[in-house]
Amino acid sequence: MADEVTVYALSTCPWCRKTKQWFADSKIEFEAIDVDTLPDSQQDEVADKAYALSGGRRFPVVVINGEVIVGFNPEKFLEHLQGAGW
Amino acid sequence: MGTAERKESLRYLYDKVVDPLGFKFTPDAALAEELLEQEVKLEQDLGAPYCPCQMRSRVRGEDMRIVCPCIPFHRAHFDKMKRCWCGLFVHKDVTDPDSLPQFPPDEE
Amino acid sequence: MSGPRWVPTIDDAKVRDGACVPVYPKGVGVLLVRVDGKLHAVANKCVHMACPLEGGKLEGATLTCPCHDWRFDVRSGEFLDAPELRIATFATKVEDGKVLVELKGA
Repeated sequence: MADEVTVYALSTCPWCRKTKQWFADSKIEFEAIDVDTLPDSQQDEVADKAYALSGGRRFPVVVINGEVIVGFNPEKFLEHLQGAGW
Repeated sequence: MGTAERKESLRYLYDKVVDPLGFKFTPDAALAEELLEQEVKLEQDLGAPYCPCQMRSRVRGEDMRIVCPCIPFHRAHFDKMKRCWCGLFVHKDVTDPDSLPQFPPDEE
Repeated sequence: MSGPRWVPTIDDAKVRDGACVPVYPKGVGVLLVRVDGKLHAVANKCVHMACPLEGGKLEGATLTCPCHDWRFDVRSGEFLDAPELRIATFATKVEDGKVLVELKGA
């Protein structure tokens, strides 16, 4: 079963970049959303969603199969990935 | 003031703030450069050197708590991680910042 | 170094209760603040990013920096969110209606 991964990120944050890089290097498909570069019309809605998921304004916020991980934390990413090879 | 000059002045200003709090600049020089560069851009765009890894709200009182160095406003959490959220600062005894995980305040 | 430690500044009457008045004894940026009738003198420079504190908001003895809202107790100079950080404080006295500020090592 393919894992469903969403990375809420800030374009200014090196840890968000490392997170995206980690999933790319691990050959795991993911959707990445840079919240700070979204057009104004979408930004509030998406940012509010990320805040609701994470309970704060810290990024990255990674959602793996519905589980939320806040921060660049490969150990936690691995814990929640179920796809082949993990 | 150009970006390079502002980065240097932020280094000078921050050092005096974080030292008494038990923190220092991360020994990861490339990371520090990148974070400071982003902060200078945020300051140029938005008026303050906000944390590059925390998002602004539309409430000034909240946003001022993520202006760098934001350690005083998140002390217990950052002391637990031995680093600040974006990793620009680490506890003085830290020599290997990559070994420090990033976790939210309610997790160990 | 020798020299006058007590440096005259402005008329005491010019510092109203609840007001912050910047003065520059020997070129040093000092903020005179009167809280509940008592005069205090602190450095006119925030410990965060060196912003002048004179445009800040004074509520009771709490002075909030206009730049990024860092809050200080003007009686002790203490930064309210981390006691390790403080703005310098200066002793004051009034002679012949003038406020004198003590500059250490001046």
